[in-house]
Amino acid sequence: MPRVVIVGDRNSGKTTFLGLLYTAQVKSGSDKADAFRFHAGFESVDEVTGVFERLMSGSFPDSAAKEGVRDVSFRLGYRRPGRGILSRQRSKGWGSDAFVSFRLIVLKAFENEMARPGEGSSVTDATLRDALGSEAMVIVVDATKLTAADKDPQLVPLRKFDAAVDSLLTSIQHSRAHGAQTVFHPIFMFSKFDRVNPEALRLANLEDAPPGVKKKGPRAAYAKALLDRNLPKTMARVRSRERRGMEFAEPSYFFSWVRTDDAVRGGAERVRLRRSGAVGWEPDYSSDEYLAFLERLWDIAAQIKD
Amino acid sequence: MPCALLGDRASGKTTFLGLLYAAQVKYGTGVQDDFRFHAPIASLNVMSAVYEGMKDGRFPSATLKEEITELGFIFGYLRKIVGKLPYYIRQQNWVRPFSTLRFSAYDVSGEDIEEFIDTGIASRPLIQQLLKSVVVAVLVDCSKMTTEIDTPMYKKMLRYDSTVAKLLVSFQTYKKQEYDRLKDSGVNTDPPRIYPVFVLSKFDTLRDDVLARLGLHRGFPENKRQRKEYAEALLRVFVPQTLSQIRGGKVAGVSMDKAAYFLSWVRTETQEGMDPVGQARIVRTGFAPEGGGEPDFAYDEYVTFIEHFRDIAHKIPDEILESEKFQAQAMVRSA
Repeated sequence: MPRVVIVGDRNSGKTTFLGLLYTAQVKSGSDKADAFRFHAGFESVDEVTGVFERLMSGSFPDSAAKEGVRDVSFRLGYRRPGRGILSRQRSKGWGSDAFVSFRLIVLKAFENEMARPGEGSSVTDATLRDALGSEAMVIVVDATKLTAADKDPQLVPLRKFDAAVDSLLTSIQHSRAHGAQTVFHPIFMFSKFDRVNPEALRLANLEDAPPGVKKKGPRAAYAKALLDRNLPKTMARVRSRERRGMEFAEPSYFFSWVRTDDAVRGGAERVRLRRSGAVGWEPDYSSDEYLAFLERLWDIAAQIKD
Repeated sequence: MPCALLGDRASGKTTFLGLLYAAQVKYGTGVQDDFRFHAPIASLNVMSAVYEGMKDGRFPSATLKEEITELGFIFGYLRKIVGKLPYYIRQQNWVRPFSTLRFSAYDVSGEDIEEFIDTGIASRPLIQQLLKSVVVAVLVDCSKMTTEIDTPMYKKMLRYDSTVAKLLVSFQTYKKQEYDRLKDSGVNTDPPRIYPVFVLSKFDTLRDDVLARLGLHRGFPENKRQRKEYAEALLRVFVPQTLSQIRGGKVAGVSMDKAAYFLSWVRTETQEGMDPVGQARIVRTGFAPEGGGEPDFAYDEYVTFIEHFRDIAHKIPDEILESEKFQAQAMVRSA
């Protein structure tokens, strides 16, 4: 089963991201078209439904939920024919070809561990073991931390995170240097994008909102403009080309946001719910981005299966 | 064969079983004699007490519900070939004249299920029995279908949806593992299948504005496809995780696609323009030669519910017997 590791700063929204990913699957998996189906792994279903319940009640995941969600597995499939080179694989029926499985592994306390390599802590070992065997990495970039000033690179808020991701990617690359040629898929997920500092966008000469999910070229350019400034080492790493071992696939970029309501009398911030269909409710979030993300995961898992 | 009836606390399980008892009393005593009903004495006592209370216009009391620890019943359907045999032959036990389904009711908020969901360990016999079910009937309480997100009802439905979805994932995982185990032992068997059933309980309490906004009318269609569309329109909104995991069975290698949908209602006395005070009273039909003084309930739905399992009952024993035969083979081989 392909492994996808999720890395992000502390409180960057990794658990919320997984909760919204499950929300998007529940929505698509129960709609009238019945063109998408998924199965949540038994080991992780309790945790992920817990996050879903909280989001659907207008709350963000609490610390217990964050602690619980570490390793989530999904199996999913599409009925409709797809686009591009994979179109033939997305059969009209529900044959075994239509399904792919993958594990999403959240790497906790990731930057600190990567900042002290070689110390031999058990966490470091576990973190590296999961990451070294993975086929893809979701790099959760907290959009509220994007730099808003053209200042010294040493003062960029995501500098430590950038170094840690670069270090992790380097380790993965080195671990496969002498093996067979493999492809590693970097995926950048900008979290909390509704709260990005407008100055950060202005600094990069960007519009307020990223281009839609179908405009892949302009979207990549938009994301790169932000990442080159904020995660320069990581971007240099994924652009690097190796003659042997592992090579990086073209990165993909997604933008996550959840609308919130102001906290009442010092309470926690609330997730805003919006109408879904005639009478239902769902978190007010970037559902298109999550659906596109699922398709990307399907494509990656299908490529690996081949 | 084991079948599970899942419902939340106060979702109408006891009333459903009481009405099912009422329906089978009427239906199972018809001239045809091709359906039979049996229940263990403890369950029968409770079901008949519920039925008696309903005939008196009362819903089951909380005390009566508390008496229930394990409630179950058996449906028996006359096998087609056996039905053509002379009466005195078909009465013989060796003919095995009836295909049977053994239902057990489970409270999903109960201690056993909560513990299983928390730990993922099916240590208790009740859970082991539950996981072996080939039919899963899910009661969805229509009185909790609300569009007001800040109400306890909304949160209860959300919680119930999560619990049932988790149980469905457990069923699928268990069945798939059993199937893989048999396959690994060199046994050639069909992929596993679970027959899901949804019962929209307390349908008479479903709010008009919910139906109107979903573009549904109060009458439940008779056509199978339309029933599915009607029921799924409600399930999609109120128990989306459950619906998506039913569909997701296919993805997990356990087909749950042959879902069926039923509703349950019992008419209660209402005073125009007034809210009922305390527990509502059940409306009863008038006395008539063919029987009367019965609770006014969705009798046709209950008969359809009973008949729905006829084909399944005839089909399942073969599948299960084969599986049991294969399991025995596998045990011999491993020994």
